[in-house]
Amino acid sequence: MSLLPQRPPIKNAPVVIRTRDVSKRFIIRKDKSLKERIVNFGRSKQHKEDFWALRDIGIEITAGTSVGLVGANGSGKSTLLKVIGGIIQPNEGFVERRGRLAALLELGAGFHPDLTGRENVFLNGSILGLTQQQTADYFDSIVAFSEIGDFIDTQVKFYSSGMYVRLAFAIAVHVDPDILLVDEVLAVGDEPFQKKCMDKIREFQQEGRTIVFVSHSAGQIADLCDRVIVLSHGKIVFDGETEAGIDALRESFGS
Amino acid sequence: MTSIAQERADRLNSLPFQKSAVSGGGLIGGFWGSIKEIAAHRELLDLLIRRELKARYKDSSLGFIWSLIRPLTMLLIYYVAIGQFLGAARGIPDFAIFVFTGLTIWGLYSEIVSTGTMSIIGNAGLIKKVYLPREIFPLAATGSAIFNFVIQMVVLVGATIVLGQFPLSRNLLYVPVAILIVLVWGVAFALLLSALNVYLRDVQYLVEVAMLILFWASPIVYSWSLVVGAITNSRAPWLLEVYLLNPVTVAVLAFQKGLWQAGSETRTMADITVGPQPWPPDLDVRLLVTAVVGCVFLIVCQRVFQKLQGNFAQEI
Repeated sequence: MSLLPQRPPIKNAPVVIRTRDVSKRFIIRKDKSLKERIVNFGRSKQHKEDFWALRDIGIEITAGTSVGLVGANGSGKSTLLKVIGGIIQPNEGFVERRGRLAALLELGAGFHPDLTGRENVFLNGSILGLTQQQTADYFDSIVAFSEIGDFIDTQVKFYSSGMYVRLAFAIAVHVDPDILLVDEVLAVGDEPFQKKCMDKIREFQQEGRTIVFVSHSAGQIADLCDRVIVLSHGKIVFDGETEAGIDALRESFGS
Repeated sequence: MTSIAQERADRLNSLPFQKSAVSGGGLIGGFWGSIKEIAAHRELLDLLIRRELKARYKDSSLGFIWSLIRPLTMLLIYYVAIGQFLGAARGIPDFAIFVFTGLTIWGLYSEIVSTGTMSIIGNAGLIKKVYLPREIFPLAATGSAIFNFVIQMVVLVGATIVLGQFPLSRNLLYVPVAILIVLVWGVAFALLLSALNVYLRDVQYLVEVAMLILFWASPIVYSWSLVVGAITNSRAPWLLEVYLLNPVTVAVLAFQKGLWQAGSETRTMADITVGPQPWPPDLDVRLLVTAVVGCVFLIVCQRVFQKLQGNFAQEI
């Protein structure tokens, strides 16, 4: 019951992301200040708590697929996305990628409130890996997509939250990524803009870009993904077809 | 006709895999790798420096003039309080130039270290969400400190020209050496402390206090000859060596030797004659050693930074 439009078939699609035995341990320290560290010196075991956020994750993602990472809260899906993006380094194992990567983890993370929209477009473009020249070339198209209009020369602290996110999204989709990591950011803006985002994602899929989603919305996953990986307590409990994956997700909530 | 998707797949097929975590490499190899990575992001570094400078005085009407008002005020305070009231100016010719010379080079160092220390925490939003070589943030802080330094330098050199004291001599060669030493040590500490500050927030307060002490540990508002006088008369002349161990002290002395012409001449002030100021023995050798040790320290600090940065995103 796929709602997806027919994707162009890709012959011998290459693997673009592969992780080998990736494990990530989180240590939660309860004593953050020097005084507490000294007072608790030698007993530091009691003031630490560690757990495996990810355990022996080995996945391969081929070009042109859209993969949904799902799981209950705290199952490690966002951590896995960050490890794939290189934002967090795993304690064990490694991640290999090829192609240009863009991460939509939080829209407008690099925005500076005191700078104008225009200045922020160049800054954010650069953060996402565009050269100044490329940003200048895309500039009109970015402004048009964001529907910001004349406000582009206003400081972004005066933007409404919708404008802020629209501008950020517009920059991100112009980066021309081969791999796009998306974390729960598609539920932004008003309904027409959300539709625009979805259309853009579909266009990306048509162009053979690889997309990795983290989402809580089973509907969105069913709508967009052709492969689902279900995580539970840092381990993969299901990896395969979307429909079966959503059933597996529901099951994992119960456990 | 091949589709866009197929073209993309074929292109990706020919690309080599890249490991996302590049913390490996030896001491020198790893350092070199990081340098190359930063060089690839130099456009971004440039933008971040601009952002820092633009954002700082964005809504103020005087703008970057504020970055000059601070050192000039300090100059006035030290000139009046220490120079005139406490009488330090009596033994130091051209006291105003002397103090401003010291304040300028010290300002560069302290701004690099203190804004550098805060740079990782201050950019937490970016670090948690995007992968960039994280050294970029302390370096951007360094860049904006250099910008402020250049403005002060213009004022300083302008003042020496107006007063007819521009030091046209071989001593000018000390100026770039002093700046280099301050940059190397400043960046090294900025890297080390910014990374430690992520794990232990006390570091930023510690730096504040340390900067206060270190300001008085270098001959900025008092002269080297006063230090020599005080220490050689005491029972512990080795203290002089300890005093000179501080890399910033050596750099400050070299910077003064370069730009404070009155220090190298015999001057008559009111009715007393002041001979050329003494300089530490073997200043050249000390500068060389400080620079070489600084470079080694910088490499070590960068490696420590690289080791610690793997957990930045979750520790912030």
